[in-house]
Amino acid sequence: MNDNKIITRETVRKIYAEYFELIDDFFGSIKHHLGEEEDSHIDLGIQMASYPLISDLILDAIDDFSFEIEKFWAEHANTIFDYISAQNTLKCLYSGNISPVILENFVKKSCLYVDSIIIADPAFIVTSMQNEVISDSKYYLNKLVSYIFNLWKLKDLILSEAENDIIFILPISLNLVNPETKKTLLDKGRKDFIDYFEKITGQKGIASDEDAIHYLKGKSIEEIFDIIKDSPLPYFFKEKNNFLSFFSDFNEVSKLLTIDDNSAACGFVTYIFSQFIRTKEHNLFCEKLLAEPIYDFEVPWFFFGYEYGYTGMDSSIATALQKEKFDWISKIPIKALGRLREEGRLDYMRMMMRNGITDLKAKNDSELIKISSQIETNFKEAFEKQKAEISSIEKEVSKILERDIPITTAVNLLGVIPGIGNAVSFASMVRDIDKSLEKTMDLQTIAKNKRGNFINLLIKSYEQD
Amino acid sequence: MNKIEINFLDDGMKIFLDYVIRQYKKNPDYNPHPIIRAFKNALSGLEKVKQGENSMGVSCNGSEDKIYDPYCVVLKKEEGDAIVVQEIRNMMVNKTLPLDMMIIIFRIQIQLDKIGGETVSPQQMVDVLNKVIPGNRFYALGDRWKEARDLFKKKLEEKKISLPINVKDNKFIEEMSAIKEDTPWEDYPNNIRSLIGSVLKEKLDKNVRIIITSPKNSKIEKCKVFDSATEFLLGKTSEYVNLSEEN
Repeated sequence: MNDNKIITRETVRKIYAEYFELIDDFFGSIKHHLGEEEDSHIDLGIQMASYPLISDLILDAIDDFSFEIEKFWAEHANTIFDYISAQNTLKCLYSGNISPVILENFVKKSCLYVDSIIIADPAFIVTSMQNEVISDSKYYLNKLVSYIFNLWKLKDLILSEAENDIIFILPISLNLVNPETKKTLLDKGRKDFIDYFEKITGQKGIASDEDAIHYLKGKSIEEIFDIIKDSPLPYFFKEKNNFLSFFSDFNEVSKLLTIDDNSAACGFVTYIFSQFIRTKEHNLFCEKLLAEPIYDFEVPWFFFGYEYGYTGMDSSIATALQKEKFDWISKIPIKALGRLREEGRLDYMRMMMRNGITDLKAKNDSELIKISSQIETNFKEAFEKQKAEISSIEKEVSKILERDIPITTAVNLLGVIPGIGNAVSFASMVRDIDKSLEKTMDLQTIAKNKRGNFINLLIKSYEQD
Repeated sequence: MNKIEINFLDDGMKIFLDYVIRQYKKNPDYNPHPIIRAFKNALSGLEKVKQGENSMGVSCNGSEDKIYDPYCVVLKKEEGDAIVVQEIRNMMVNKTLPLDMMIIIFRIQIQLDKIGGETVSPQQMVDVLNKVIPGNRFYALGDRWKEARDLFKKKLEEKKISLPINVKDNKFIEEMSAIKEDTPWEDYPNNIRSLIGSVLKEKLDKNVRIIITSPKNSKIEKCKVFDSATEFLLGKTSEYVNLSEEN
């Protein structure tokens, strides 16, 4: 803790500015290759790792990046941590991957509902992985470049002087908690994994992850699927093809890691075991940061729910928004999130999306099917209402323009007030016209604002989809 | 995927310059590689020349007595602020530095920076060279010098070694005769160490091309590592060594 010193947003902004300077010091020389496409950071990672001479030079030149990023967080992590914890807002902490594959889209979707997204610093995570599990240096470079530039694209948003706090980054790892807590969590994770493994395989007496591998030894991915297919599994894994391709990919990646055993059994056990450890880490940091969990992939979401129960409305809505059916939200420019905050529309969006959803409904919808359908309905209704409001205002404006002003003017010229029949002065006639014009102008402004506001940006993106 | 157009000179230079800037931040006395210093000199010179004209910068390592890694960089001033690199030349071997070689030189510099002090051991030298030059071409003889000596003696006795004409002079024979069974490796003349050490090649990995025969405790100036690499890749040695051979 920082001795009760009040940490300001400006302090946090300066720390993040320093963070991006550090990134720029190490990777600034290749940033000009980053394209405009939403997945250009992935291309950049793949291609930088594929040029033999250049990739070797980069790897040598950034050899001390890991040390520098650790040093940076040793100095600043507590400040950021305390600042986030102190924010009395709806915050969501991401887990399930190093960071969302296209962070910008994830932020656009999430921040229609939550105040802030917290993600683990990808530079910290990837460099830690390099020290512990990644054995292939080119794979490391690919991932490091890709994840760093994924975040780099949001640099302006993170460093914006506006009071938004849309996205926070900080180091998240069990290595940062005290050894006793870490041991307790690892032991509990291991025990929970064994319980789960015994449940899905029907095999009793498993004592460790090594035992689990031994039990499945020699079996193919397909055979493993046949053993576990009727047990509690993520919905995604219940589809055989998904299961086969997921673990086939996982085993391919394992060859680039410090895992000597490339068997299907080892791949399966390693992945499932890692999910139980990860959920422990995620839950711990959610509690510390007073944040809700958020996911962008059903598999890790399932394991979190399996361990801790599905956490309720906010977490479910934020996670449901990541479903493919809401991809149209990605078309909104990232800067528009600032407008959403400026217009004070976040509460409106939140209330709109919550319509018809309760904590109980969310907890009973592990696959987020009903929740996402309800959100979809809520969006449609909100869009219809918005369109109807604009249309109504526009009708009112044209009514005033076409009828009220010409009639008022004409009658005044005749020296009478319509409907009353009294003679009026020239001054009152002018006041009458001014009043109508003012009303017209006000309505036009309202209509214009409504047409240009954030909801209309959403409607535009939705209709373009 | 849109193919990224990598410009080896431009990108390689930028990556290395960023590295150099970071070293300066850590240590204001950091001494960058002569190529960078020659670049800097050439850039200063550009301020004084007209559009279309060239500016040359020169730099090297070493002292007044002995020069290492002499480089010249020629830059041309183009329209606007554009600069064209005309040439990067190693003046020791008097050859234009190919771009891949430039990147190898930069990598050697980075590896050497990780080793404190101004000198390296033969093993450190070999490790650096093998890390940046593909194929594990270098080997430090170290403690295997006795094995090399005995093998050399045996081959000589069996007349399986035919000495080159230029070493069959009186001085060489004199030096060879002075070597006794108990002469420490440190006391062997450099040329004889090289000759003896080279016979061990047949017992080493087939990829090994250069055996560093310096005694294992000797301290080799870092700048000599660049010389070895340049000589191996661009100098006379390169005429005998086919780098494209499969490992």
